[in-house]
Amino acid sequence: MAALFDYDENREAASAAKVRALEALLIKKGVLGSDSVDTVLSHFETVAGPFNGARIVARAWVDPAYKRRLLEDTPKAIAELQFPGMTGAEGEHMKAVANSESVHNLIICTLCSCYPWPVLGLPPYWYKDPVFRSRGVREPHAVLREFGVPIPAEKEVRVWDSSAQIRWFVIPERPANTGQLNEAQLAALVTPEAMMGVALVPAPPAV
Amino acid sequence: MRLPHYLGGLENLGPVNLFDKKVFMAEWEKRIFGIHTVMMAESAHLATALQKYPIANIPTTFKDTWTWASLRTGAEGMQPFEYFKYRYYEKWLMGISQFFVDRGYVDADELATLTEHYRAHPDAPLPARPNPSLKEQVVRYLHHGDSGLRTPPAPAHFTVGETVYVADPAAADHTRLPGFLRNKKGTVTEVYPGAFEYFVSTGQDGLSGPQHVYCVSFNASDIWGADKSEPHTVIYADLFEAYLKPAH
Repeated sequence: MAALFDYDENREAASAAKVRALEALLIKKGVLGSDSVDTVLSHFETVAGPFNGARIVARAWVDPAYKRRLLEDTPKAIAELQFPGMTGAEGEHMKAVANSESVHNLIICTLCSCYPWPVLGLPPYWYKDPVFRSRGVREPHAVLREFGVPIPAEKEVRVWDSSAQIRWFVIPERPANTGQLNEAQLAALVTPEAMMGVALVPAPPAV
Repeated sequence: MRLPHYLGGLENLGPVNLFDKKVFMAEWEKRIFGIHTVMMAESAHLATALQKYPIANIPTTFKDTWTWASLRTGAEGMQPFEYFKYRYYEKWLMGISQFFVDRGYVDADELATLTEHYRAHPDAPLPARPNPSLKEQVVRYLHHGDSGLRTPPAPAHFTVGETVYVADPAAADHTRLPGFLRNKKGTVTEVYPGAFEYFVSTGQDGLSGPQHVYCVSFNASDIWGADKSEPHTVIYADLFEAYLKPAH
C-alpha cells in the first residue's frame, strides 16, 4: 500500500498531470461531461460564497428583529432574503450563532471539513489542516491569539464542532462607529474569517 | 483506534498555518474538488434521496453511490502517518482515482499512460464533450442538496437539559463521533426536530437508519481536565443518538 503514496520528485506537476488524465478519461468514458467540473467551480463564484453570509450578517446588524429570527430559525430567516441555493449542498441545515460582549463563537470540524457552503463558500486551507482541527477545541483562546484576536481569558468561547447535519456560522459583533453606514457598506466589512469566528470585524477607516 | 478519528485535542502541534487563506493551494486542486462534487451530484443514491432527483434519466455511465461518506471512509482508512503527510486535496486525488480503478471505470495502466502524456504536455486539451443534462443535474444538486432529514422512527430518548455520557463503540472504518468525546459527560442543549439518516451504516460504530440528533455541550475541563484545557471554554457537538448514553 505504501508504494501507492510514493511521490514523484515534482509533487505538484505529478498531481496536476494525474488529475488532468483522470478528468480526460472520465469525460471519454461518459462519467463526466467536459463542462461538468467548470459548472461546479462557477457555482462557488456566483451562487455560493461569503458574499451571501456578509449580506445576512449586515441585515442582522441593521434589523434586530431579523437577527432574532435568524438565531431562532436560521434557514427560514435566510429564505426571507431570497438568495438562490441557500438550502443547497452543505447548507441543507444551517445554524447561526452570535458573538456578544460575553460570548465568542468559533466553528470547526474536527473529523473532516464540514462548512456552510451556501453562506461561506469553500473553506480556506487552514480550516482543513489537522493543526487547527486539533487545537481549536482544546485551546481556542490560544489559537485565536495567533489569529490576532485577543479574547480575554475570562470571556466564554463556544466551539461548534460540525459532526452531524448542522453547518454553523458566526454573526460577528457590529463594530463601533458604523451608524452612518448602509447595509451594503456594512456587508463589505464582513470577512469569511469573521463568520468563522477567527476574526473580529474592524471599524472602517475614518474618512 | 483510528488516529484521524482522534484529532481533536492533540498536543505539541505548534502554530496553525494562518497564512494560507486560499481555498486551493494549486490550480489542479480545483479539478479534483469538481470531479468529487459532480460524482456526488450524479450518485445513484440520489434517486431515493429526499429530493428524488431524476438520476435514472441522466446520461452518465456513473452507476455507483458516491457521498461524503465514501471520501471520508477512504481518508480515515489511510495509514495514519500517510494521512498527515499529504495535503487535503492530495488525499482526495489518491482516493478518487483509486476508486475509479477499483470499480473498473478506468484502467490503472491507461491512467498512468495518460498521466505521462499530460506530464509531457501540460497544456494538451481535455476532450470536448459537453453533457447538458448532467450539467443541469449538477446545478440542481448544488441548489437543493442532499438532506438526511427523515421521519423519526421513535420518540427521542433524551431531553434538553439532560446530562448524558458519550458512548465508546468499537472502532469502525468510519465514524461521526469525534474521538475526544468518548466516555465524556455533557448536557443536551438541543434536540433537533425530525431524525437524520447518515449516508451509510457505520456498523458496530452505531449509525444505521434514521436517528435523532442532539446538540450536546461539554466543558473543556470535563474532557481534558482543568490543567490541560482553557477555562471558560465550551464545546458543542452534534451527536447521533447511538453515540449517547443516559447518565444513570
